Amino acid sequence: MDISFLRQQFETDLAGAANEPAVRALRDKYLARKGGLVSHLLKDVASAPADSRPLLGRQANQLKIHIESTISGKLSAIAQQRPAVEAVDVTLPGRPPLLGHRHPLTLLRERIESIFLRLGFLIVEGPELEDDYHNFEALNMPVDHPARDMQDTLYLASPVAAAGRVAATLLRTHTSGMQVRYMEMHPPPVRLIAPGRVYRRDNLDLTHTPMFTQVEGLVVGDTVTLADLKGTLVTFAAELFGPDRRTRFRPSFFPYTEPSAEFDISCGVCGGTGRAPQALVPPQPASNAAGEGGCAMCKRTGWLEVLGSGMVHPAVFEAVGYDPERYTGFAFGVGIERLALLKWGVEDIRLFYENDLRFLEQFPL
Amino acid sequence: VRLPYDWLRELVPVPVDVEALAETLGLRGFEVASVEHRPHAVIDFEITANRPDCLSVIGLAREAAAAYALPLHDPDRTWPAAGDPQPIDVVVDDAEACPRYCAQVFSVRLGASPDWLRDRLEAAGVRSINNVVDVTNYVMIEMGQPTHAFDLEKLAGRALRIRPARAGERVRTLDGIDRPLEAGMLVIADAERPQAVAGVMGGGDSEISSATRVMVLESAYFAPGSVRRTSRRLALKTEASARFERGADIEAPPAAIARIAALLHRIGAAQPLGSIVDRYPAPRPPRIVELRSGRIGRVLGASVPDSEVPKILGPLGFELRPPRGGQSSSNGATSWAITVPSYRVDVLREVDLIEEIARHDGYRGLPATFPALTAPQAPPDARTLRDASVRRVLTASGLSEAMTFAFIEQQAAQSFADGAPLVAVRNPLSEKYDVLRPSLLPGLIDAAAHNRRRERLDIRLFETGTRFSPSGEVRAVAGVWSGTAVTPHWSGAARSVDFFDVKGVVETLCGALGAEVTFARASLSCFVEGRTAAVEAPAVVGHVGQLAPALIDARGFPAGEELYGFELDLDALAALQPADDLRAESLPRFPSVVRDLSVLVDSNLPAASVRGTIRSSAPDTLAHVAEFDRYRGKGVPEGRVSLSLRLTFRSADRTLTDVEVDEAMARIVGALASAHSAERR
Repeated sequence: MDISFLRQQFETDLAGAANEPAVRALRDKYLARKGGLVSHLLKDVASAPADSRPLLGRQANQLKIHIESTISGKLSAIAQQRPAVEAVDVTLPGRPPLLGHRHPLTLLRERIESIFLRLGFLIVEGPELEDDYHNFEALNMPVDHPARDMQDTLYLASPVAAAGRVAATLLRTHTSGMQVRYMEMHPPPVRLIAPGRVYRRDNLDLTHTPMFTQVEGLVVGDTVTLADLKGTLVTFAAELFGPDRRTRFRPSFFPYTEPSAEFDISCGVCGGTGRAPQALVPPQPASNAAGEGGCAMCKRTGWLEVLGSGMVHPAVFEAVGYDPERYTGFAFGVGIERLALLKWGVEDIRLFYENDLRFLEQFPL
Repeated sequence: VRLPYDWLRELVPVPVDVEALAETLGLRGFEVASVEHRPHAVIDFEITANRPDCLSVIGLAREAAAAYALPLHDPDRTWPAAGDPQPIDVVVDDAEACPRYCAQVFSVRLGASPDWLRDRLEAAGVRSINNVVDVTNYVMIEMGQPTHAFDLEKLAGRALRIRPARAGERVRTLDGIDRPLEAGMLVIADAERPQAVAGVMGGGDSEISSATRVMVLESAYFAPGSVRRTSRRLALKTEASARFERGADIEAPPAAIARIAALLHRIGAAQPLGSIVDRYPAPRPPRIVELRSGRIGRVLGASVPDSEVPKILGPLGFELRPPRGGQSSSNGATSWAITVPSYRVDVLREVDLIEEIARHDGYRGLPATFPALTAPQAPPDARTLRDASVRRVLTASGLSEAMTFAFIEQQAAQSFADGAPLVAVRNPLSEKYDVLRPSLLPGLIDAAAHNRRRERLDIRLFETGTRFSPSGEVRAVAGVWSGTAVTPHWSGAARSVDFFDVKGVVETLCGALGAEVTFARASLSCFVEGRTAAVEAPAVVGHVGQLAPALIDARGFPAGEELYGFELDLDALAALQPADDLRAESLPRFPSVVRDLSVLVDSNLPAASVRGTIRSSAPDTLAHVAEFDRYRGKGVPEGRVSLSLRLTFRSADRTLTDVEVDEAMARIVGALASAHSAERR
């Protein structure tokens, strides 16, 4: 095909293209990779005699470039002629999508679960109505054991049947019952956390609710040690509270662990000094006893109690049929509400159960 | 327990101030509640239930002596010159509840205590009464052994009989209360009647007074379980019961009498008459526990040199027999036979000794290691994952998550139990919390009312949690919605929430859980008649509707405002969940044909019936049916409604022709006419 004829034809077509769709159609007609006239021309060039090929090629390419730029120019000229749209006030608020907030205790629970999942833990859940055996006896707390006073229990008026197990008589005071159930069903190794709601006969106040949420952990194996417990808790605390807080592990007592340990972190308000943050120190009357003043968050100690833990008591292993000579294990239990108080500076634990949207909406979506 | 600093320093001269002492003992496992400086330097400890020996100055002094490697001075127990014995008849009927009972008769001269004694007691938080009572209290604080003084001349038959109470017996305790006793409670009786509740509180009738000339002092060991049961039944907790129920020292009774005798002699208050009566029919041999050095490392994850073990345990009163084994086998094979002191009732097995070793340095020497992962882990509990996806769907639907208590008021629960019995709590905190919730809705209604009272108009809340019935516990999800259906915006008036907003949430949620559900009109006392649907799969798995105004009004939510709610049984829905075998469908390759259809039908004919008739009369090429309008009014006869539906036809293997779609539409219209007398508009 003659190149100049093609150019002529394009100019004629262009002159007749009055609107945007017509101009776009020209692009297809001349430039479409399949069936476009210029594309066709370029193919012809490839089969032309070798001596005329360079010149023809150059001319064909020039035509292609000419058509491309002419069409683009025409399209933008058309676009500029379009009438202006009415402007919006971009500073007016947008239309927010309906989105609800997860409860802060859920945020924290999911955070904790994700930490332990990454550390290779299984998540198990168990019943909230328990029998005495799984809540107490199997955990080295026989009837009349003084340690039962540590967890004031809510009992059911009459036993509630439970599929495939002994009738429940109480509201679980911790999720340890689930750990017992798991060990009854599975041989070691064990590496799990058991999150869930637990119940104690505590009156509502700034730091107590009769229902709260716990995460308990249990690791059993051939070589599990108290040092492993310490390392696990240090890792957990660093993830949750940041790497700058110091941690402390100190002896304590729980009937189901021996040795037992409390785990503390340094106070984030006073930086572990026990002194009131400078700006908050009220002028001290001279008569004040030495015990007054100081950091209110940690009560001047510089430390905040985070959780209780320890090495699983051999009596617990005996109750579930594990050989306490062969296996060792550690366990820990933490109240999520307590972590939330420490992490977010919530002053009143009851806020978590009032469900005031002004409170719930403070936490990220 | 309050520990006066000076008192401890009398037994062990620690070279540190009270703050440093508190810190040291704190790290050994004795939690410090507070430290006082004035008027006395006192540390208040929270002693754990396993360490009754440290409910005493000497117990804590022993710990301090071990911590600072100092000797512990034993308090003076020099037996003073005794007077002539007096007759006293001591019989233990129940040696199981009272394995040891010691008694000593004294001639006494009651009077005021000297200042040093009053000061000590005051520092420990005990009020001074008279010289004899003060000395017994002093020794309880110092040694941890409770004792009790009877006026011998007020005891019928000059007898002390340790026996179970008989039904109907009573005793007037020292606090002046006349208490009925239950049969089997251990008492100290004279020849006629109970004079004290053993290990709990003495009786007023034989109390010593300024007129007392001869007293008999009791110093006994009562079994923990017996004291605990009695104390609980009587709802009477005392300094004595706290010590006995945790486990007293069975070797302490005669020692405490000797200490009291020495102190009474020192202040000129009394002289012993005769010697101690000691009823201890079955002396307990000391407990011997084996400790293997290899086991220490296996439990702690840090090895402790064999030479350290006696240095740590010795000062705490443990006696170690020289290492056994050692040379014969490999490392860590050393083992000791360790005699546990009688006051360490908590040390029963090897691991208890390992704790003693570990806590010596407050666990500070322990490395932080990580437990080896030796097997792959199973996936989390299915409920954990399911609840997370429920929360994801509902928050994306605009509802915020609430958490409410599982126990509620019976009156609030009743309307939601649907006639089923409630699960009651035997010892509720209050009437507000006396039954376990049969539904999550009452808690959410309360939460909605709470927000409404705080001038919040748009309320959307949900909760996932357990609900209870006599047949067990079920995981459920529920939600409530009031106010507007969309977020109010300057661009236009917001519509109020209605039934279909909430139904839409339920449909989306069930869809997300993979459950196919249908909705049917239902009638339930907690919902408004005519605006309630049962969610069926095909068994009823929940309900959705407008909550009854009377009911929400009773919980403080304005009855004039519409509050919608839903509740679903998550366990039942999960049981319907299809297997995880999703296959992606290829996208349609041929165009679809869309036809709109408007029919007049009876206004009370459910839309589901119309849809069902269309489906059953249409060819397989009907891909989709959706209502897009429902109209009553001008042009529509009374009692009828105009229902408009959009039908989409499509085939997987060809382009449909107008003719075949027309035929299908004609069949559908015919079926609607015969089934529902529907007229095409």
